Amino acid sequence: MFTEASLHLTLRVDGPSVRTVLVRSSRMVQAARLFAGKQPVEVLQLLPAVFSLCGSAQALTGLAAMEKAAAIAASPAQKAARNLLLLAESVSEHGLTIARDWPLLAGAAPSLDHAKRLRHALAGLRKALYPDGDWLHLGGGQLAPDTDAIASIITQCRDTLTQLVGNDLDEVVQPIAFQAWLQRETNPLLALVTSRCWQGLGASAAFMPMPERGPPDLSARLQTDREGIYLARPDCAGRVFETGPLAHWYWHPLLTDLTDRFGTGLMTRLAARLVLLAESLREMAEHAHDLRAEPAAPLPRLDGHGLALTEAARGMLAHRVVLKEGLVGEYQILAPTEWNFHPEGPLVRMLTGAPADQDLELRARLLVHAMDPCVTCTIEVE
Amino acid sequence: MCLALPSRVVELLDDDQAKVDLGGVIKAVSLSLVEDVAVGDYVIVHVGYALTKVDPAEAEKTLALFAEMQASGQSA
Repeated sequence: MFTEASLHLTLRVDGPSVRTVLVRSSRMVQAARLFAGKQPVEVLQLLPAVFSLCGSAQALTGLAAMEKAAAIAASPAQKAARNLLLLAESVSEHGLTIARDWPLLAGAAPSLDHAKRLRHALAGLRKALYPDGDWLHLGGGQLAPDTDAIASIITQCRDTLTQLVGNDLDEVVQPIAFQAWLQRETNPLLALVTSRCWQGLGASAAFMPMPERGPPDLSARLQTDREGIYLARPDCAGRVFETGPLAHWYWHPLLTDLTDRFGTGLMTRLAARLVLLAESLREMAEHAHDLRAEPAAPLPRLDGHGLALTEAARGMLAHRVVLKEGLVGEYQILAPTEWNFHPEGPLVRMLTGAPADQDLELRARLLVHAMDPCVTCTIEVE
Repeated sequence: MCLALPSRVVELLDDDQAKVDLGGVIKAVSLSLVEDVAVGDYVIVHVGYALTKVDPAEAEKTLALFAEMQASGQSA
């Protein structure tokens, strides 16, 4: 029998506030150890099949780690194609969240049709880049971009998201336009957050964004993590960073404006999703210009060790691989959820000391949503 | 990890819902985000929604790997 991995949050109340926050995780953080002894090509085929929400990010991070291990440099066109696939997955994930989860959190009906159209449009992207299906070929597959199809996919995404938010997305992420959009109360979740004055929820906690190139000690910590303790509870000299849309885009004009007014609280975090969507679509259009047809690269000798980081939908994803005599010797994956839902991490910091009134569970659910776990997270107040 | 557990569709219900079997556990999920799903198909389910259809051979291979993971206790 299989059990779905999950997170469980216990909020222990003492008098008027939350005294302690406990996080229990059943996530299989060492699952990648089973890749040891397999052929790199086999692992690259397994990665997108094994991970449900971030299959492209997992597979492309694995590919990049193996290429580093084998000292292969993918061409700029291959990098552009891979970035397009990564961004497409982020657009699909955050589009789904805004279409399905935002209305549900506010007690409204989800816009599943928009989510379905978005996923349907993006599902054609791999084939539009790599018609032979070899997008995970080491060094780069047979790249034959169908530029019309790619442009059409980006346009369909933009149109669907515009319909979903009821406004042009590029306009919504401008500070003044965002305020005007909020006042029209088009979005039930943001209307709820505004009417309850919850814009600054969680803002009193220290905001520690993940450094752009990851923690400086990442490689060394992974290398010495024999027991998987770092993979389950990562830190950097005792600090637990936050990763995800706000940590990546906090310098964006809309997010600095909202941070000035509400701190790095709930509204700023929700708006960071919209910023990520708008910026991802813009970057996708830019990468589309860097594509060109290329044959598949010859397979090299595979020996060495490599670490690769990517900005996946939920934040920084790291893969470390050691290749020995053409086989995978060691494999480790560090996912964003292990930072964001760390027992001393950003979510726990935001909830510790929170007022223990009748809305506590709902507010906790909104903050859990803002931190965006990639598995189910249940909440208990005791 | 957000592992993709393939579930087999055992019964189609009204309102875009279906019953799926995940390693012996039967539960109801929404089919609102996928198209042309029939009884016997494998789908990837996440928080109560079927997200994608998967090829049965690929699903069996993935389930075998998950069984190996659970047997070796690779959890947090």
